[in-house]
Amino acid sequence: MELIIGQYVPRSSVIHRLDPRAKLIGVFLYVIIVFLANNWPTYALLAVFTASGVALSNVPLRYIVRGLKPVLFLIVFTFVLNALFTHQGPALFKFGWLELTSAGFIQAVFISIRLLVLIVATTLLTLTTTPIDITDGLEQLLSPLKKLRFPVHEFALMMAIALRFIPTLVEETEKIMKAQTARGAEFSSGSLVKRAKAIVPLLVPLFVGAFKRAEELAMAMEARGYRGDVGRTKWRLLQWQTRDTVLLASIALLTAALVFLRG
Amino acid sequence: MKTKTFVANGILAALYIAVSFLIQPFGFTNIQFRLSEMFNHMVVFNKRYFFGIVAGVFLTNLFFSPMVGYDLVFGVGQSVISLIITILSAKFVQNIWARMAINTAVFTFSMCLIAWELNLAFHYPFFFTWLTTAIGEFTVMAVGAPIMYAINKRLHLEDLV
Repeated sequence: MELIIGQYVPRSSVIHRLDPRAKLIGVFLYVIIVFLANNWPTYALLAVFTASGVALSNVPLRYIVRGLKPVLFLIVFTFVLNALFTHQGPALFKFGWLELTSAGFIQAVFISIRLLVLIVATTLLTLTTTPIDITDGLEQLLSPLKKLRFPVHEFALMMAIALRFIPTLVEETEKIMKAQTARGAEFSSGSLVKRAKAIVPLLVPLFVGAFKRAEELAMAMEARGYRGDVGRTKWRLLQWQTRDTVLLASIALLTAALVFLRG
Repeated sequence: MKTKTFVANGILAALYIAVSFLIQPFGFTNIQFRLSEMFNHMVVFNKRYFFGIVAGVFLTNLFFSPMVGYDLVFGVGQSVISLIITILSAKFVQNIWARMAINTAVFTFSMCLIAWELNLAFHYPFFFTWLTTAIGEFTVMAVGAPIMYAINKRLHLEDLV
């Protein structure tokens, strides 16, 4: 199984060059302001804004479509649920207790557009930002929490270690699964108890291997003089540019337009 | 925080993601279960696993969830609140099985936060969504309890960080 973490697509675009902090703040704000949309003009504006982001990113459309495939069921499910559970306005279709009203249909379309723009916007973040840039950005954004004695540096490093070891552990899990399957273990058939029992011999070697790795890595880090973030310098420094301010300003403008246009 | 503690937690987060994706033995029709949620029981043995579990949930939601923004707030929030309640209650409960039962109950109940998230974002019916998500969480946590107990018996999780 191929696990593409973050699904980063290297391209030379203005969206790629944005500071990860600007992108994280931008996506976070966007996720909130999406709620302001409540009629056709506002949803159309959100769709245009999202499409512009995709166009500026130079990411081929097939990557966006690939990101939508796993959630297609969710989109259809959300559409059906909203269409059938909103009983306002004249009925367009009636079959037994099932009733589709005009208001229900419009509501379903709106919520589906909301889900779609959300998925595309957040997919765009991971398609245009490397996982390590995202963790660097998060470390900087969370740094005020240091005053509350939250271990920001350790948490960011923990995430970087996790990202580094995901492929290794996925490979190891697959290997152990194949070895156990060859010995007759069945992970996806049989009763619940049988399946639960089959997991123990899979998880034990996984845990043993993982904690052995952790001990070796911790020892290697300390042997090389690691002392937390005290006096620590960085090879790559994040620098806030004009384009980052432009991104946040455009989101502020979008917010104002949504407030003005909403019904 | 000791180097060994956060390194082990970092690798635990990676394990959380790997297990989430590769082992899906309890998926029934449209209700899917995240098996790695059983790792939540690790705080019952040692509260230092808190950060690894939270980092695992955080990264899974950040890179693989279709609703990143909401899941980072509600999903991670649900884990943080539930784990803190379990850790605090462990001060008054010594029996491991009782702690795991409390943990299961807390995580199952707190799925109301996820139902609230889905209700706010996509107008899913609140109680129906709470019911379906709670069934998934309860199953994984209940099935996971004896599994984590068996793993702890062999590995002594309380001493590994």
